[in-house]
Amino acid sequence: MSEKGELIICRCQEVTQGEILEAIADGATSVDGVKRRTRACMGLCQGKTCGRLVQNIVARETGQAPADVLPQKSRMPARPVKLGAFGGSEDV
Amino acid sequence: MYDVIVVGGGIIGCSVAWQLGKRGKNVLLLERNDSASGSAGATDGFVGCHTKKPGPQLDLAIQSIAMFDEIMEDLGPDIDFEANAGGLQPVEDKEQWDVLSQMVEKQRESGVDVRMISAQEACRLVPGLSPDIYGALYSPTANKVNPLRLTFAYRRLARESGVTILDGVTVTGFTLEGGRIKAVQSDHGEFPCGTVVNCCGSWAGKVAKLAGLDLPIKPRKGQLAVTEPIGFYMRPTLQCARYNVIKFHPERIKDPTVLRLGSSMNIVQTAEGGLVFGGTREFVDFEGENTFEAIETMAKRVLRFFPQLKDVSVIRCFSGFRPYTPDGLPLLGEVSSLPGFYMAAGHEGDGIAMSPITGKLIAELIVDGAPSYDISSFSPNRFLV
Repeated sequence: MSEKGELIICRCQEVTQGEILEAIADGATSVDGVKRRTRACMGLCQGKTCGRLVQNIVARETGQAPADVLPQKSRMPARPVKLGAFGGSEDV
Repeated sequence: MYDVIVVGGGIIGCSVAWQLGKRGKNVLLLERNDSASGSAGATDGFVGCHTKKPGPQLDLAIQSIAMFDEIMEDLGPDIDFEANAGGLQPVEDKEQWDVLSQMVEKQRESGVDVRMISAQEACRLVPGLSPDIYGALYSPTANKVNPLRLTFAYRRLARESGVTILDGVTVTGFTLEGGRIKAVQSDHGEFPCGTVVNCCGSWAGKVAKLAGLDLPIKPRKGQLAVTEPIGFYMRPTLQCARYNVIKFHPERIKDPTVLRLGSSMNIVQTAEGGLVFGGTREFVDFEGENTFEAIETMAKRVLRFFPQLKDVSVIRCFSGFRPYTPDGLPLLGEVSSLPGFYMAAGHEGDGIAMSPITGKLIAELIVDGAPSYDISSFSPNRFLV
């Protein structure tokens, strides 16, 4: 794989540009499509760092405008939250 | 002209398309969005028999799980299949113990390696587990898999076997002629074919309706969450005993919130180290957002059994729809009132485990005219008389 292919795009999951290009060749047309195939955006930062980069690569490769590439679906929590904070103490 | 059009490119559709392609059929796979954008992309990867109801469901699961061995070489090593990871169900009281003991006896008659064990033995298997339990159900032969990677492995195999895959195509109707399927209509035009397989999971009822069929497949929402990756914590998959009590004896649940949310605890550590936990079973149509109430209830359940996880962070919540059917059994087979229209949907929470056998038997039914294993209990016609 070329030097460009080895470039790390998602630092949390160590996903390279080459892997993202493969995912797009397999049919991914959105950030979620890349994510499900490569684990990019699935790490601790949940795509806060790489989400935009992935969006731009998908746009470039599929001929869409970057703003038209669907970003990943946002879900709670906005940042990591301890289980204890979510769960309190008593169970029902 | 295609021999077969598979509608739905999820885990079931990709498995069915692969098996049909392998048998030499000219297959088109139509997917509205993208593979694994529905249920398989929003679940844990539990693959075992001890959560299956004794009878046709359990017997089919046994066949399906055994098939993983045969197709493992094709699927490849990337699917994170962990054979014999083990499955535990911690039990909280005598009532749960009795419900599970009865079920275990029947499962053992079907040949499942499953037994009831003491709290001490359970804690030896999963050292993080709270000793404050009554006992546990244990099946050493339960497996786990990465459901996303499994789906994409089927998709790759389907393509390699000659299947044409079109993503982003929404099916809008079916053309019938003389009471038979002649073509599939879509927002990208009409595709002529003689045979259709409806593999649309929770959406299969809607797609069947386009062919004039009224089938009772409903979406049942399951909420989950995943934690930050931690070091090795547990090999077996866990469900609290309430999972089976809710699944098979909902009348025994007294708390109205628990009953409404169907909340119990499943927890699996993935190959990457994150703990995926769930879950709920809710009837809220296709409303897929996470609710704080559900996540809170789930987190409490996790901490009930694993108090030491209180400082581990949740990084993402998610949810998926499970294709519910009134009798808990999938719909597999041809619709007798509409020759050429086949159903392969309605597996509820068992679609990952049931994906190998579903593909194989539906392909046999279409190619050979009869499957190698009796699937009459799963006939869609049971809802169409």
